[in-house]
Amino acid sequence: MGDIVPALLIGLIGFLGPMDFAIGSNLLNRPIIMGPLVGLVLGDLTQGIIIGASLELIFMGAISVGAYLPPDVIVGGVLGTAFAISLGQGVGAAITIAMPIAMLSLAIGNLLSIIFPMIAHSGDRAASEGNARGITKSMWTIGLLECTRRGVLCFLGFYLGSSQIEHVLSMIPDKIINGLEVSANLLPAIGFAILLQMILNKSIIPYFFLGFLLSSYLHVPVLGVAMFGLVLIFITMKFNNTGSHSMTNTITGQGVEDDDDF
Amino acid sequence: MMTSNEKKVTKKDLMRIFWRSLPMEFGWNYERQMHLAFAHMMSPLMKKLYGEDDAQYANSLERHMEFFNCTPQIVPFIGGVVASMEETNANSDDFDLSSISSIKTALMGPLSGIGDSIFMGTIRVIATGLAVSLAEKGNILGPILFLLLYNIPAYLLRYYGVMSGYKLGVGYLTKIQESGLMETFKKAASILGVMVIGAMTNEMVAINFTLKLGSGDEAQTLQNILDGMMPGLMSLVVLYIFYKLNKRKVNVLWQILGAAIIGVLLTWYGILG
Repeated sequence: MGDIVPALLIGLIGFLGPMDFAIGSNLLNRPIIMGPLVGLVLGDLTQGIIIGASLELIFMGAISVGAYLPPDVIVGGVLGTAFAISLGQGVGAAITIAMPIAMLSLAIGNLLSIIFPMIAHSGDRAASEGNARGITKSMWTIGLLECTRRGVLCFLGFYLGSSQIEHVLSMIPDKIINGLEVSANLLPAIGFAILLQMILNKSIIPYFFLGFLLSSYLHVPVLGVAMFGLVLIFITMKFNNTGSHSMTNTITGQGVEDDDDF
Repeated sequence: MMTSNEKKVTKKDLMRIFWRSLPMEFGWNYERQMHLAFAHMMSPLMKKLYGEDDAQYANSLERHMEFFNCTPQIVPFIGGVVASMEETNANSDDFDLSSISSIKTALMGPLSGIGDSIFMGTIRVIATGLAVSLAEKGNILGPILFLLLYNIPAYLLRYYGVMSGYKLGVGYLTKIQESGLMETFKKAASILGVMVIGAMTNEMVAINFTLKLGSGDEAQTLQNILDGMMPGLMSLVVLYIFYKLNKRKVNVLWQILGAAIIGVLLTWYGILG
């Protein structure tokens, strides 16, 4: 059993994470932000920042696009960072812990989400009575249930789990922990692969290699590569408007001009 | 007088849509996804336009409880367009109400395509790339930079979205779509995203072979040889393997587990380090 106070604070962070969806989906709930918060609570801000950044890379592809729900980055990120810091282990331990937790939390979330449409139907009733407040109320009910689920999972996970996880980690030889850190450096590739599958098509493959080569041979940093990209896009788009699409030029030209307004 | 009855959407109404668009992903559910939040966003304007007639008001609320899903940062734009349509409807007797639903449906598909690739695939990736390189050294500026880089464009788009959505109304939108400007935007965002991912693959997918080849003074690590062929080559290979696995729909959990096991084994035998 761990201390109750840090566990409650970890639970609070888990509760506040999904509150970001209530205030504008600002990506406050990503590991790169939650990690430092966890670090602050546990008295090691620097480790929180470092571990949060590593988990951010690993969970890079875990974003909800369309109807796809990714592993629960919030609970996985919070507990992964919390355990890694409290047990004095590094990034290797954090990912070993975070991934299964994120999957488990998604499964629990899916179970809970069965009741959400039922709550939404109370919103339907409110709408048919011309009661806008009732709609807002059912929105908040669903949202707060999500926050509570995450908060409770983070609290219980940290409160009950520390000793067990510490025990398990102590049985693992150092060589394996080192190996896991080596593996952690491979994992961002999974996130990149998922993103690429989302946006890659044959015509833009060369641009991927352009970015890669600028970085690998010329050591251009990421921001630099992005700037090269912007210039390149500007050039190609100009080219399209004056050249190959001359047939639709009258319509396109006007569209682009008017577009300056926004 | 006719003109005094005319209902007009003001800037204050549009600002209210802007603020009320913030909890767009709150109340999300599998059945109709963002419908509660969308109705929540539109309800003050509905009250203003139809408040005198209970039945019409209730009707307008129900209208916005239909299935809705879109990139949150794009939603204010759709809210602006819908506001201009609702305004027209409130001031005329023969407006085709079904056109409001159909424009919502027509917009949310293509616009989420663009929105997701701009915000999730491009801006977020760039923000992460820049922020992680700072945060990996324990620098608090990393997380701060991450939030600023992502949210400044996000909020600008939200604000200008709702204003221009209202101004543009419907006629103009179809024009943009027909002219192919949407496709151009989407392609531009993809190019930028893909270039950044390329750079990040080299920078952040780290793999280091410690295995030595040859003996004595001539001994060279395998890494030196690979670097001689092409710096970052193995990162590219690792990415390619995962890309193929993803394409074959291998569960991400298995991929991670596999990477962990292979990483541990190769480190154990001194090949990686």
